[in-house]
Amino acid sequence: MAGRHVLITGATRGIGEALVRHCLDAGDSVFGCGRTPSAVSHPQYTHFCVDVTAPAAVAQLFEDVRTQAATLDVLINNAGVASMNAIVLTPDETARRIVDTNVLAPFTFTRLAVRLLRRSPAARIVNLSSVAVPLRLEGEAIYAASKSALETFTRIAARELGQFGITCNAVGPSPIRTALVAGVPDAKLQAMVDAQAVRRWATTADVVNVVDFFLRPESSMITGQVVYLGGAG
Amino acid sequence: MSQPLSASPQPPAARRLASDEILDLVLQTIRTSNQSRDAASQLEVSPGAVIFGAGSPLDSLGLVALLLDLEDEMRAAGCPVALGDERAMSQKRSPFRTVSSLVEYIATIVRE
Repeated sequence: MAGRHVLITGATRGIGEALVRHCLDAGDSVFGCGRTPSAVSHPQYTHFCVDVTAPAAVAQLFEDVRTQAATLDVLINNAGVASMNAIVLTPDETARRIVDTNVLAPFTFTRLAVRLLRRSPAARIVNLSSVAVPLRLEGEAIYAASKSALETFTRIAARELGQFGITCNAVGPSPIRTALVAGVPDAKLQAMVDAQAVRRWATTADVVNVVDFFLRPESSMITGQVVYLGGAG
Repeated sequence: MSQPLSASPQPPAARRLASDEILDLVLQTIRTSNQSRDAASQLEVSPGAVIFGAGSPLDSLGLVALLLDLEDEMRAAGCPVALGDERAMSQKRSPFRTVSSLVEYIATIVRE
């Protein structure tokens, strides 16, 4: 279905930017948000410089989307932060920032987006999880816990929002060379890749492929699912 | 194109609806939503009607759908509100339990 109205969080770089470009190539109108300006320049793209953990700014973003588009067909909760650290050495503030960004922000975006999504004939929500959930890696406790919460949220949202024809799914990327993992030792990431069924680094295109599957009109029976890349889980 | 929020168009100022106007919108929303329900699931259209809990055919998901429809009606009337409350699903204390408690709840929000 071309010509959708799509909202993508964390749209400035990495997976988010790849999703923006993919949807624009498909003929969609895309709203993106991130803390910094976007490098994407396209007549069908509107970028908002917004901190997804700031409720008032997010509410204003939705007012603007409503004004410009009246409806939404797709919400992709991509914005996320990671921190590689032992539980004992992780400051409370870091843990709160991770939960705020990875759990509470997708909750707020979903809550507000439902008002616009329920008019769509093929409404979709896609959340970005991580293979850190099934792998239960040491040093990623709070990050993996936040993504685990997001997966549970995804499954329950699928049940609550099914009455409106809205599907809600998640994709869990395996290691990709993006800014999110810049602080993680390469040897640790390589060990994760070597433990996968498919032993290669993933690319943003691999994530886009799964998201694209969720977004298809033919995927209206696919909801409450989490798909991991590389055979994890 | 990058667009800072400060450049965003501002929505028009919200109207402050009176309680009888809110009641009319609530009843109209119930009438409209009844059109998509079967005969056994019809909500009573009156100021004293029960919306949620004992005596109502609505389950929690039905309540959500009704309140989202009502938000749309309120917005169309120039008075956008967000109908969310931590007591929403309480069988005894929900502000959405009856038409009259819902109207009172909305009137309080509108006054704030």
